[in-house]
Amino acid sequence: MHRSVLRGLLFASPWIVGFVIFQLVPIAASAYFSLTNFNLFQDPQFVGLRNYQRLASDALFWKSLLNTLYLTVIGVPVSLTAALAAALALNMRVRGQSLFRLFVFLPTVVPVVAATYIWRWLLNAQYGYVNGALGAVGLGQPLWLDDPFWTKPALILMSLWVTGSAMVVFLAALQDVPETYYEAAVIDGAGPWAKFRHVTLPLISPVILFETIIAGIFTLQYFTQAFLLGQTRLNAASGGPENSLLVYGLYLFQQAFVNLNMGYASAMAWVLLFVALAGTWLLLRVSRDRVFYAGD
Amino acid sequence: MRTAKVAQPWAVIAAVVVAVAACSNSSSPAAASAAASAPAVSTQPSAPAEKVTVNFPYLWSGPEGDALEKVIASFNSSQTAITVKGVSSPDFQKQLASMSGSNGFDISDNFGSTVGSWASKGILEPLDDYAKADGTDMSDFVPTALQSNQYQGKTYALPIAVHTLLLMYNKKMFADAGISGPPTTMTDLQADIAKLTKADASGNITQFGMRSPDYITLAYAFGGKWYDDQGNATPDDPGNLAALHFWVDNVVKKYGADAIKKFESGYGEYASAQNPFYTGKVAMTLDGEWQPVFIKQYAPSLDWGVVAIPYPDGQQSLAGATQLTSSMFFIPKNAPHKQEAWTFLKYLTGTDAMKQFSRALGNLPARTSLLGDPVYNDLPQFNVWLDSLKSPNLRIFASLPSTAQYQKDLSDEFQLVANLTDTPEAGMAKVKANASGYSQ
Repeated sequence: MHRSVLRGLLFASPWIVGFVIFQLVPIAASAYFSLTNFNLFQDPQFVGLRNYQRLASDALFWKSLLNTLYLTVIGVPVSLTAALAAALALNMRVRGQSLFRLFVFLPTVVPVVAATYIWRWLLNAQYGYVNGALGAVGLGQPLWLDDPFWTKPALILMSLWVTGSAMVVFLAALQDVPETYYEAAVIDGAGPWAKFRHVTLPLISPVILFETIIAGIFTLQYFTQAFLLGQTRLNAASGGPENSLLVYGLYLFQQAFVNLNMGYASAMAWVLLFVALAGTWLLLRVSRDRVFYAGD
Repeated sequence: MRTAKVAQPWAVIAAVVVAVAACSNSSSPAAASAAASAPAVSTQPSAPAEKVTVNFPYLWSGPEGDALEKVIASFNSSQTAITVKGVSSPDFQKQLASMSGSNGFDISDNFGSTVGSWASKGILEPLDDYAKADGTDMSDFVPTALQSNQYQGKTYALPIAVHTLLLMYNKKMFADAGISGPPTTMTDLQADIAKLTKADASGNITQFGMRSPDYITLAYAFGGKWYDDQGNATPDDPGNLAALHFWVDNVVKKYGADAIKKFESGYGEYASAQNPFYTGKVAMTLDGEWQPVFIKQYAPSLDWGVVAIPYPDGQQSLAGATQLTSSMFFIPKNAPHKQEAWTFLKYLTGTDAMKQFSRALGNLPARTSLLGDPVYNDLPQFNVWLDSLKSPNLRIFASLPSTAQYQKDLSDEFQLVANLTDTPEAGMAKVKANASGYSQ
C-alpha cells in the first residue's frame, strides 16, 4: 500500500513538479507582489493593501472593468445565441450539410491576429466593406473603430464570425437529443417552436451552462483583439478611442509592462480571479433550477 | 441515475477550476520573469579569442533602418573583438518587456523624454563612468539634448539626433485656394484652415486644412508650459488652454468631431506614399525635419514649403516657438555586454557616424559642431529646421520620473477634448488632479 502510493507519486511527479514550479510558485509570488510596490528592476517594497485601496479610486481600473463586463454580459449571450442558431440550422438534414458546417467552422481556424487585422479594414469607417454594405441598403454608417460608442459592438460583431467551437459543441448536444422525444412532442401537437422550447432547450441546458461559464471566463481575460484594434504607430500603449477598448487584461498589461507597476498589476490579477469566481458562483446558483440533467 | 446527475455538475466545476487557474496564470509570466530579473549579473566572457556579439534592436524601420545598418556595417568592419547585430523592432512595448527579463539586448534607442522615468526605476545603465574611463568628451553635444538624457546629475543615454516640428504646407493647394503665402499669425492660420477645408453636401470632409496637430507643441506656440520650474505638472497653464481652444473652437466645432474622425480613418500609413499630406488630403501639418528625405522618397513631385509655427496675434515675442525632442541610444541595466555596448554607443554618437546617420535620415544632428556642416546642404528646406534650433522659444518637455505617465494621461485627455466630450478646462483639470498622485 505504502509502496504503491510512492510509486503513484513517482509517476505523477512530472506533473506535480511542473504544477508547483509553473503554477503554484508564480501564483504565490503574484499574491505577494500584489502587496508590494514593485517595478521589476528594484526590490519590492511591502505596502500592505495599498494597491487594492488605490484600485478603488482608479478611474481607469473601473473603466476597464466595465469594458470587460460589457463584453461579458452582452457579448457572451449574443455570440452563444448565434452559435446555437447556427447549430440548429446545421442540424437540419439538407443536401450539402457537411459543406455548410465547414463554412461556418472555417473562420474559427483563422489565427486571431490575422482575423483582427482583416476586420480592422472591413470596419474602416470610410473604406470598409461593412459600412459600404450598410450604406448600400441605406443604413447608418457608424465609426466602428473611431467612435467610443461603437468599438465594443465592433468587437462583438467580430466575435460572431468565430463561433465555430461553441457551434460544434452545441451540434453534438443537439444530436444527443433522442428522436423519440420529438416524436412524442409532435403527437402531442407541438410545433417547431414548442419542440425547441420544451424538448431541445431543456435537454441541452447543461451544455449551454457549460459554454456560458467557459465563454464568460474567457471573455473576462479578453485581450488580443482589443490590443490589436487599439494599436498605434510603434505600438505605444493605447486603449483605443477614449479608452473604450481598454479591457481589463489590457489595462493590467499596461500597468505591468508599460508603467512597470508590477505590484499593482498583480493586485489587478487577483481582483479578476475573484470576479471570475463570483461570476461562476452566481451562474451556477441562478441556473440550479433551470438546468435539466438527463436521466432524472 | 442519480450518479449521472451528480457527476455532471462536478464536471462543470472541474472545468471551471481549471479555467480559473488558467486565468490567474495571466500574472504568472510576469512574476516568473520578475523573480529572475533580480540576480541579473552580467557575466563577461573571459576568452577574448571569440568575438562578442552586441545585440541591437532598434525602433527605426524601412529606409531609416537601412541607413542604420550601414553605420553598423562600418563599425563592424573596424572591429576585431565586437560584432554588432542590428534588427529592426519598431515596438515600444516589446522593447520595454525585454528589458525586464534576466537577459535582454545590449543597446537600443528611444526618445530623451523616457530617460527620467526609466532612470528613476533603475532600468538604465549610467554612462558617466564609462565616459570618464576612456576620456569621452561630452561638451560637443547640443546642451538641451544632453540634458534631456540626464537624470539627477547622471547621464543615462547619449543623443544621436534632435527634432523639431514646424508648419509644412502644400504650395499647390495654397495657390488653388488663392492664398498668397504661408500663415505667420494664428489668425492667418485659422483663416487658411477655413479656406483649405472642403466638405460635401452631407457634411463629409473631402479636404482638410490642417492635420490635427501635436497639442503639446501647439501649446508651446501659445506660450504654454507643461511643467513649472519645480517639476510640478501644469496642464492647465493658460497657454495650453489657449492652444486647445484654438483647435476645438475653430476646427472641431466648425466641422464636427465625427466628420473629422471619419476623414482621419481614411489616412494612409504615415511613412508611405499614402501619407495624407503627400496625397493632398491635408494642406498643412506640423511635422519634423525628416520630411525632406521622406518626401524625396514617397512624394518626389510634391510642391511644399515649411515655416515656423505661427504665433498668437500681437505676441511676436513667441515667434519661432516649437518643441525640441531627442533620439538617443541607451544601455539597459540587464545588458549582457555593457562594455562592448558602450564602445559601439560611443562610435554611434561620435562625429563621423552621427554625420553619416543624420544625413541619411535627414535628422538634425545632436552635436553642435555638425549644425553648420555642408553635408546637409542638398536636403531641400532643411535649413528652416536648422534655424529653428536657434530660436529663444525652443522648448523641451522635461524628462522626469512622471513624464511617461503624464504624457499618456495627456494624450488620453486630448482625445476627450478633441471629441468635445470634455472642455479644455475640465480636461486639463482632470489631468492635474491625476498628476498630484504621480510621485507616489
